[in-house]
Amino acid sequence: MSRSRGLSMVLVLLVLSAVCVAHADDAKNPPPSSKIPKGAKVFVAPIADGFDTYLRDAIAAKKVPVEIVGNRDLAEFEITGISETQKASTAKKIILGNWHSREEASIQVSNIKSSEVVWSYSVHKEASAHGKKSTAEACAKHLKDEAIEK
Amino acid sequence: MHSKNPFIVPVVALFIVCAAANPQSAQSSIFYQNDSAQDQKSTTKDSQPASSQQSKQAAADLKPASTDEGQLATVNNAKIPAYAKVYVAPMLGGFENYIIAGLRNKKVPLIVVVDRAKADYEISGVSESEKAGWAKMLFMGSQNSNEQASIKVSDLKTGAVIFGYSVHKANSIRGRQSAGEACAKHIKQIVID
Repeated sequence: MSRSRGLSMVLVLLVLSAVCVAHADDAKNPPPSSKIPKGAKVFVAPIADGFDTYLRDAIAAKKVPVEIVGNRDLAEFEITGISETQKASTAKKIILGNWHSREEASIQVSNIKSSEVVWSYSVHKEASAHGKKSTAEACAKHLKDEAIEK
Repeated sequence: MHSKNPFIVPVVALFIVCAAANPQSAQSSIFYQNDSAQDQKSTTKDSQPASSQQSKQAAADLKPASTDEGQLATVNNAKIPAYAKVYVAPMLGGFENYIIAGLRNKKVPLIVVVDRAKADYEISGVSESEKAGWAKMLFMGSQNSNEQASIKVSDLKTGAVIFGYSVHKANSIRGRQSAGEACAKHIKQIVID
């Protein structure tokens, strides 16, 4: 009788351990922290049409509290992305009376160590008054407002 | 009879508690079995000519969703667990960037990683953008582009494609951004929150 009681106790312990393991599995994928600490070192990777240059200027102009570094090895975060510009065609100028270019850009900030994308943003301007500068500043403004720790 | 009871009851309790504590893994393991079964089917298809019954079965697995934006298909009601690591493969014209931005904008609970080796799932696809020509501007007064994209989500462990979606926007106000957000919105439907 005492032997069977001992066995049942062992089985109860097994059940409890199985429950613990199941809860550990649930906690395996926690939500990522999507904020960049103030003063973090950020590397801006080359983007098509030199958009990375506009982005660096915009980050400085909008006073985004991050440190831009020129060497990827020194950085904690990396900004990558794509940009596209379409100059106003003759048809657009004559028919729609619009000289402004059509701008599109999308950027993402990834943590170099963990390879996780912490923030991303895309912008589209059908008639951009200042071309690439406008889209770069939109990216920088949203980076400052949404991605940087307050 | 009385001496057997102490063994049977805890064993049954163990099975019940394990099944109740981790239903997701049980569900996903069933799904992987289905995938592996599909893979086996595909390998047999390679060796033998496909029968009409098999193609009918595959067509029955694809379930179209009611959407006016595009075509959506999920295989065997597949789901992605929340905060699973997803890699978005490079696409023509950098459309992957718009999908990543769309995933954030639509608050899809997935972790996007830039290293494929660290990912559980992969999003790949194609996209095409057609700018408005002079005729469209003249006759329709529209300068919006035509956008179309098609993506698929595959499980990197099993190699099975678990989700597919295609979108076509005739007058996309925000260009590729709209198409990327449409893809992200529909990916959200298969994520278990």
